[in-house]
Amino acid sequence: MEAISFRVTSKGVSLIFDSEKEFIEIKEALIKHTAEASNFFSGVDLYVNPNGITLSAVEMKELINILYRYENIGSIYFVSEDSRNRNKYLDTILINQTIRSGQRIKYPANVVIIGDINPGAEVIAGGDIIVLGKLRGVVHAGAAGKSDSQIIALKLQPTQLRIGHIISRSPDELKDLEPTVPERAYVKDGMIIVEALKMK
Amino acid sequence: MAGEVIVITSGKGGVGKTTTTANIGTALAMMGKRVCLIDADIGLRNLDVVMGLENRIVYDIVDVVEGSCRLEQALIRDKRHNNLFLLPAAQTRDKSAVTPYQMKELTEALKKEMDYVLVDSPAGIEQGFKNSIAGADRAIIVTTPEVSAVRDADRIIGLLETEGLKDPEVIINRLRPEMVNKGDMMDIDDMIEILAIKLLGVVPEDENIVISTNKGEPIVLKNDNSRAGTAYHNIARRITGEEIPLISLDKDTFLSKLKRIVGLS
Repeated sequence: MEAISFRVTSKGVSLIFDSEKEFIEIKEALIKHTAEASNFFSGVDLYVNPNGITLSAVEMKELINILYRYENIGSIYFVSEDSRNRNKYLDTILINQTIRSGQRIKYPANVVIIGDINPGAEVIAGGDIIVLGKLRGVVHAGAAGKSDSQIIALKLQPTQLRIGHIISRSPDELKDLEPTVPERAYVKDGMIIVEALKMK
Repeated sequence: MAGEVIVITSGKGGVGKTTTTANIGTALAMMGKRVCLIDADIGLRNLDVVMGLENRIVYDIVDVVEGSCRLEQALIRDKRHNNLFLLPAAQTRDKSAVTPYQMKELTEALKKEMDYVLVDSPAGIEQGFKNSIAGADRAIIVTTPEVSAVRDADRIIGLLETEGLKDPEVIINRLRPEMVNKGDMMDIDDMIEILAIKLLGVVPEDENIVISTNKGEPIVLKNDNSRAGTAYHNIARRITGEEIPLISLDKDTFLSKLKRIVGLS
């Protein structure tokens, strides 16, 4: 396991330390990352989560200096929560209803819908969108630009799919072609690919 | 180029404003005119569906007035005619998202680029209606041969006159000639007598309209001389200033043809 890990959250990016590692390992990993990806967090707020590691004032100062090597970084916060178990679940909202025409769901992280998304309805998520029902409206996964997001539906018949900055629309013909299996949409080589959902 | 902004309105719902807008717009485009259709029914948009362009919407009229995108980005080019455009309504907002002043600015900008800007008004006489007539140079009222629809049309004519939109024209939609002949339906003269405005055209009830609406293909696209399709083509030509006589609405039965041939009718 890496000494540091990153997670995209609703507020920005969390930087999480591995509580098993020594301060020196964390520091080196951070120096390496700031060198490799100095423009990675341009305009993004960073939430540093020491994850139970006790830091001295000197160590903290060192870390702050390193963190400012990220160009144009937003605000830097230190948080004190144990993220190992919680964040994974908090980042997803479960909606137990059909989304009808004119309704719009907007959520910064993952969205799971138990029900249909009707034509004229819109679901916008910062992360993945999973629909346990028919998806016939417009959905936008990874709306903040996260193009590795995916869209999964039991019946994927969308008016329009958007992932990150990429948009694709349903073909004008084949409108009545009903999918027989659950499908997954994702981005590959700048295009949205739809294929039958395979369990890994 | 200074185009004309025409609002299509009715007061009453369900009389065929959207179908009329789609067909007249398409017919004008088929005549080579540059046409933009505006769906002013924010929150209950339909024109995109009737035009078969729903899956192309990325930005809408609210995005334009709020400055989230440029006007050209929100315009959807028709899939059949490259001189026909649609500015879709927003579905997840309501009428108050646009003001009459913003609407006027929008139509002013569009008519510089277009020959005709058709505004599909929502039903009612509240803010959506006020928005839709804000930038209009001309008004077309759609009504059906029902007392309630004619009553609402009359009310609308009064409101338009108050707003300074003089000389609106009327389209009588969904007329059933056989019912009129039997005296079971208001006839054209009855309606014109009440409304006392110029008759722009009469569109007979035609089940092909239902089919074409559901497919997202305006009936004027079909080359089958359907009665409704012909009526819309004629209305479009009258809008451009041509003099076209009203089509005969009586169905050609074998007997009526025979009578005409032998000179009895």
